[in-house]
Amino acid sequence: MIHDFTYLKPGSVKEALAMLADHVDECKIVCGGQSLLIPMRQGLLVTDYLIDIKGLNELSYIKYDAKEGLKMGATTTHRMIEKSDVIKKHYPVLVEMEDRLASTQTRNWGTIGGNLAHGDAAGDPAPVLTTLNAQVKIASAKGERLVPLEDFYTDIFETVMEHDEMIVEIQVPPMPAKSGVAYTKFNLLRNDMGVVGVAVSVVADASGACKDARVVLGNAGVTPIRAKSAEKVLVGKKLSDALFAQAGEAAAADADPVSDIHASEEYRRHLVKVLTKRMAKKAWEQASK
Amino acid sequence: MEKRLITLIVNEQAYEIYVNPKTLLVEAIRDHVGLTGTKRGCETVSCGACTVLVNDMAVKSCSVLAVQCDGMKITTSEGLEVNGKLAPIQKAFLDNGSYQCGFCTSGMLMATSGLLKENKKPTKDQIKESIEGNICRCTGYNSIVRAVEAVARGEYKEGSV
Amino acid sequence: MTTTKKAQEATAKKGQEMTTFGLAKEKLTVLNTHVHNIDGVAKVTGRATYSFDTKLPGMLYGKILRSPHAHARIKNIDASKALALHGVKAVVTGKDTLGIKQGIWRRYQELCDEQILPVEKVRYIGEPVAAVAAATEEIAEAALDLIEVDYEVLPGVFEPMEAMKKDAPTIHEGVERNINVTRHIEWGDVESGFEEADYIREDNFFCGGQAHMCMETRAAVSSYTPEGKLTIYHSNQSAYYMQALMAGVLGIREGDIRVIAKYVGGGFGGKFELDGAIFCTAILTMKLFRPVKIVYTREEDFIATKRRTPMHYWVRTGIKKDGTFCAREARVVSNGGAYTGMGATALYLTGFFHSFPYVWPAYRYDGYRVYTNTLPSTSMRGFGAPQAMWCSEQQLEWMATDLGLDPIEMRRKNGHYAGYEVPGQAYIASCGLDEALTKTKEWIKAKGKLPANRAIGYSAAGFMSGGIFNWFDTPYSFSSAVVTINQDGTVILHIGATEIGQGSNTTMAIIAAETLGVKVEDITVHSGDTDHCPADLGAWGSRQTLMTGNATKRACEDAKRQILEFAYAKMGLNIVYDLDIKDRWVHIVARPERGMPWEELCKIATRGKDGQRIIGRGFYTPHRKGMISPAYSYMMQAVEVEIDKETGHIDLIDSLTAHDCGTPINHLGLIGQLEGAFSMAAGYGYLEYMPYEDGKLMNPNLVDYKMIRATEMPETPIAEIDTYEPEGPYGAKEAGEGLTNPTAAAIGNAIFHALGIQMKECPVRPHMIVQALKEKEEKDKAAKGAKKGK
Repeated sequence: MIHDFTYLKPGSVKEALAMLADHVDECKIVCGGQSLLIPMRQGLLVTDYLIDIKGLNELSYIKYDAKEGLKMGATTTHRMIEKSDVIKKHYPVLVEMEDRLASTQTRNWGTIGGNLAHGDAAGDPAPVLTTLNAQVKIASAKGERLVPLEDFYTDIFETVMEHDEMIVEIQVPPMPAKSGVAYTKFNLLRNDMGVVGVAVSVVADASGACKDARVVLGNAGVTPIRAKSAEKVLVGKKLSDALFAQAGEAAAADADPVSDIHASEEYRRHLVKVLTKRMAKKAWEQASK
Repeated sequence: MEKRLITLIVNEQAYEIYVNPKTLLVEAIRDHVGLTGTKRGCETVSCGACTVLVNDMAVKSCSVLAVQCDGMKITTSEGLEVNGKLAPIQKAFLDNGSYQCGFCTSGMLMATSGLLKENKKPTKDQIKESIEGNICRCTGYNSIVRAVEAVARGEYKEGSV
Repeated sequence: MTTTKKAQEATAKKGQEMTTFGLAKEKLTVLNTHVHNIDGVAKVTGRATYSFDTKLPGMLYGKILRSPHAHARIKNIDASKALALHGVKAVVTGKDTLGIKQGIWRRYQELCDEQILPVEKVRYIGEPVAAVAAATEEIAEAALDLIEVDYEVLPGVFEPMEAMKKDAPTIHEGVERNINVTRHIEWGDVESGFEEADYIREDNFFCGGQAHMCMETRAAVSSYTPEGKLTIYHSNQSAYYMQALMAGVLGIREGDIRVIAKYVGGGFGGKFELDGAIFCTAILTMKLFRPVKIVYTREEDFIATKRRTPMHYWVRTGIKKDGTFCAREARVVSNGGAYTGMGATALYLTGFFHSFPYVWPAYRYDGYRVYTNTLPSTSMRGFGAPQAMWCSEQQLEWMATDLGLDPIEMRRKNGHYAGYEVPGQAYIASCGLDEALTKTKEWIKAKGKLPANRAIGYSAAGFMSGGIFNWFDTPYSFSSAVVTINQDGTVILHIGATEIGQGSNTTMAIIAAETLGVKVEDITVHSGDTDHCPADLGAWGSRQTLMTGNATKRACEDAKRQILEFAYAKMGLNIVYDLDIKDRWVHIVARPERGMPWEELCKIATRGKDGQRIIGRGFYTPHRKGMISPAYSYMMQAVEVEIDKETGHIDLIDSLTAHDCGTPINHLGLIGQLEGAFSMAAGYGYLEYMPYEDGKLMNPNLVDYKMIRATEMPETPIAEIDTYEPEGPYGAKEAGEGLTNPTAAAIGNAIFHALGIQMKECPVRPHMIVQALKEKEEKDKAAKGAKKGK
């Protein structure tokens, strides 16, 4: 059963930030609630004040320009991202990722800001956005700051945000020319959270070698993990199947997965190895076009 | 904790209800408004039996606070028919035997209605994806997909007997 | 005359009896036509009200306190703090009950071992220990935390092999080595049989449990009123069983209990025993004289409602090199969990259907059901046969492959046929196995060469159409029906069968309409209410189409005979002419254009009977039908799978179902049952893992317990198999459970054909495939190395 709380409904971002400042240690933000309501119903998450920002349409937007890249407001729903022509054109991997995220119903109501703020290690958006070099704009009554997504998580379900802060925007820089991004997750049911997930982005240089690589693992640790040894295998080289496989081995070693009823640590590492190999190849094929 | 007075427009009728803000939309519909067609089948937002339309979008009402829907248009399975005339999707379900025990049926009807509102001619894959969040233990889903395909093919006229 | 010939003649006669006269082209006018489910409109408009939805005036909400321990003595329960909570009306424990040990195998007292609210001991995690009734659900839940239970924790045992050891904790006093039930089935001389075999294989298998996962969790609303009547709305598969069982545990008369199960959100074998919801609400309402409702959460449903029986299987099979079967020997040790329930039947049926669908010259089965401190295991769709086929059909496939035989022809060579008698066990009057094998072969051929990473596997099976054994010890006919004809031609049918989604109301309406010669829309069916409907054993063992169908047909024949008397009298025919009714037209069979409308006859008959309506009665209990069932269905399941060798991921690509159900009655219902059975059985094969650790279920929710979704389902085409079952109404037999039996084995066989690995444990999960491939690779390498070394 959900514990009783006092419900606050701000009419603007400014009002929401003021409420956060007022109730700093006794409040929680709810937006789509697709992640939050479950622990609340289990009694695992108790709050005195619930600040509902679902109605803040000023944070529901998708903007793109070639110089600044993509900007998504925090209350943008997953479904808006899934259906966005501009995102499909410039960051198709985000549309693919959303297509396999939970269910249509969840995507209709749940938001990208809420998803990232929740910090589930098995979440889909964080690894993908990390390979895209995304940044999170966090606001409080005192001001705003930008945090790279790869530095955003400190532990499972924990972020760098202070109690009086909230996400207002997600920024994704324009993708460099000759780049490719690929993401997949392993699961028994297509839209389940991944047993593990792997996102890879690569950039090719003029000579056809890999100039930059980012390999991010989902659900292979308490937060998304950048598999830096896998990246080292790829950067500076002309990529081949042998190198993709080697990157896979390196990523498996970088991973820090748990054992649970779905998979052992050993099997998770095995999956990281296979999926990294595949996603590196897929991303490279895009970049080399 | 202060209760709140909210208005839910359910199946084109306004209901003014006084709720504890932690009341889930599914509880508001079933217990306050009194329409029990919408069901609950889990506590983890997994089964979809609670699916309704909120402003024509399919959502799982167990995972939405009623207060978030103040003033919004809600459609449940009871709201599909018009003066006893079944909606095309309901007729298609009857013709295709797209239900057995019936407990998931309201959720399936609303999830597929949400799809058809967005997309009048969905592909088979799109139909399957629209009910991916709904569990049926009885039918194996294929008869539900066939029903939606029949509606998409235009086999049922809106509002006819 | 052999029975095969009898069946053939009956089929021919079927054609002669039904004449047409231009209006109705079909000889059978209602059967196997496209009839909507008669409950359909209620279900697609949100009007159908389940126990889950039921509200009564003044109703209180109940919650159950459950044991956190797998095995413990209850030393004391102090509910004083809970009772002091504002809004709490009562707390009950085992001490507030008669303490009667009950069980569904009423005929055998030693198997009646379960108190729903135990008095002295808890035997599994999640077992009820107390129940609260309060003004709201929230208060009831808060009250649970205030009930103090003093447990003396006892050592628990969780695996049947461990539980049978000498020093294992005793779960039920007086039951040695925790062996709950044993079963033995034998015919022929197994030792000689093996001596004749050219090839013998021995394998060990493990079949996991499975959750019924009904969309409607357990739910009950009980209301006791001052005149001593108890009314119970309950989600169950047999209103009569609940009535009789509750009378037994409450010490009141069956007739003073009314059980209502009008709309039930799924059963699948898990809802025909007493559960905590029905029992605790009844105890509470009898104390408070106010209605009490308990609805299980999904988590409670996983933790505390009995599951499919996990089984350890050992199988030894001997065949000749030409594929003739010689002998089979099997042993099963099943994990019974804490109580008997229907687990005793599952132990017998697994051993029996493990021989299906083949002629075994010699067969021996020994089954042991062992108590453990885990959730009791019970019946679940397929009733032990899915486990049996997982082992049998895979092992036979491996053996055929080892010998270079065509596996389909090997099955055909040894298959059952109409007229076969399973020695001392069963008589097969109709059998469509041969045709099912042929249709499967054609489907595979049409598929041609499959892409890499894909393969087809298949499995045969057979199943019962209801059981003959009266373990419930009922004095009533197994099925009964009463049909009443109104003066305007509308018909009321009262049956005790339970509609749980399988379409039984519609099937009976179709049978009634066909028999009386009217239309389905003329029939109103009443079922699932013990006050108004005759007793019927209910919806399990795939019995209702055959048994309630026969009762319904007989009741309608009785009514038809009575009403036609008035037509004969009115029409004054020469004695050589006879009458029939088709499409609401009462007519001379030889001269169908002469007759009268049905409605007119109904009016005449009502007046003729002094203003009384015609009432027909029918009933059915199988007599002298062997040890198991009056009739058997046969089926073949083929599945095409795609496997990712590196990750072990399994994808279902396509399937074929060939199911012999005799004469199909409810067309839409039949397709629904076959497609639905596939989804549940496939889940058993590769998804629905149900792990326990020290008696605790590790995934009691729908995130971690994997249920197949629309996006995972392949197409499910159905091949029609044409047979006629003389024992069934219009030649019909079951189609509810049989198809749950072969699918997991078909998936196993597909994996075998794709990758050459033999999966002995179900459900098969991806890491198991990766592991098996690794082991095979190492084995092949070693074999190559050994060869090179020579």
